[in-house]
Amino acid sequence: MSSISPESIREHTQTVFRNVFNDDEIVLSDAMTADDVDGWDSLTHINLIIAVERQFGIKFATAEISGLKADDQNIGTFLKLIQKKLDAKR
Amino acid sequence: MTITSASFLAAVMIVAGVIFFLPRGLPRQILLALCNAAFLSLSIPNLSSAIAMAVFVLSGFFVADLVRRIPNHRARPYLLASYLVLLLAAFVTLKEYQFLNFLIPPGTVSRWISLVGLSYILFRQIHYVVDVAEGQIERASLWGYLNYQFDLFALYSGPIQRYQHFTESWGALAPILDDTHLRLRALGRLMLGIIKVAAISTLMLKIADHAASRQLHIRSPRDWVAFAALFYAYPAYIYFNFSGYCDVVIAAAAFVGIDLPENFNHPYLARNAIDFWGRWHMTLTHWIRDYVFTPLYKKGVETNIIRPQRLSYACYFIALFLAGLWHGSTANFAIFGLLHGAGVSVTKMWEEHIIRRRGRPGWREYLKSRPIYLAATFVTINFVCFTFLFFPSDLRGRASFLRRFLFERPTASNVVATMTEKGGA
Repeated sequence: MSSISPESIREHTQTVFRNVFNDDEIVLSDAMTADDVDGWDSLTHINLIIAVERQFGIKFATAEISGLKADDQNIGTFLKLIQKKLDAKR
Repeated sequence: MTITSASFLAAVMIVAGVIFFLPRGLPRQILLALCNAAFLSLSIPNLSSAIAMAVFVLSGFFVADLVRRIPNHRARPYLLASYLVLLLAAFVTLKEYQFLNFLIPPGTVSRWISLVGLSYILFRQIHYVVDVAEGQIERASLWGYLNYQFDLFALYSGPIQRYQHFTESWGALAPILDDTHLRLRALGRLMLGIIKVAAISTLMLKIADHAASRQLHIRSPRDWVAFAALFYAYPAYIYFNFSGYCDVVIAAAAFVGIDLPENFNHPYLARNAIDFWGRWHMTLTHWIRDYVFTPLYKKGVETNIIRPQRLSYACYFIALFLAGLWHGSTANFAIFGLLHGAGVSVTKMWEEHIIRRRGRPGWREYLKSRPIYLAATFVTINFVCFTFLFFPSDLRGRASFLRRFLFERPTASNVVATMTEKGGA
């Protein structure tokens, strides 16, 4: 997982989103936010974080978890953070 | 010196004026640090309190630094957990929590040590230590940390600011005096806050106290009005007092260049208990979410102890129970927290019930419906007002008042007393 490409990160994350939100039609785009995904509330957000951590073998810090759902965050920043954590694992 | 006193407001205006003409950076920080120290000294009654405060607060900085420097990453969580346990033990001891009375008789600690604002200091400290240990605070200095902990605007009653947010404005310290729009907005908010605290909340408290001092009976329709006054006026008092206080400190802090987070967003317009906590004392809610609910729920899901849905209810209960306990050291706050834990859990169950029956599209329609919103808001505000019956620390007095109101028959002496009071009024 440590040498995964950005495209592959997006693809894997999209699969995680589809499983967590039980919606096979979700297509991730960088500008997408929590408001654009039906059912993305505080509790589902934690379920999503746990699923992403399991998928990529990474850990999010306490402050990062809530930060990822903040108003100024979107899927683009989420994917960048995953990439950063995977790079740090190398 | 209280936050709404003329001396405090005059001091803020003088400091805002002086800081404006000082060069940016260290000179402005030194002036504010002196103000923080002076304000803190007003709340420290003796040497033992000063020592206790210093040990409590400095331990956070040095332990965070130690955890960050440990080369073995696996040892960090254990050291962090051990410190947090010790910190909480010190906190409940210093606050003389009622459930510890069998171990520490009341007065044992408070005879020597009195620390104001310790609950807020504790939450800022836990956040700081956890975030440093997890690499979320990279550049930390003792200078910045002490001014963060003892920031005079947030020292006594919050808002609970995050260190990262504080350092943004602490680094810049750009007072708003040169911006007419911001200056007028801050001045207006300052005035609004003073009116809320000094006039409206004082009036609400008088109404609530007057009703609580009378012997009311549910069988007497006239007494229902007095009971309603108590039922609604006390929560109104809490809201106007605390949100007014926050208006004053947020506006005053802006005058010297400190940006404090918002704490209230029309909480009595909330449609359910979860929505209420997203609008009421928001910095506390966010803290509880980040440092209690999320780690607890996440650990529970990872260890697969119980089904996530049931686990979430348990975590809501624990988080709100702790939020209640944090408000004070007496049993009434535990009841307050448990009631809100129940309210939040029932809200989540209701949401899941609607989604099961009508699907996500049905849930969206439910949320859009105006009559449902009005009904939900009515239920929520009454639920919240009910929980505030348990907020005053005189739990026995309040319980006895409710018992008399609901169950006791009006006796001749009570009727005479009530009539005399009404006649006198």
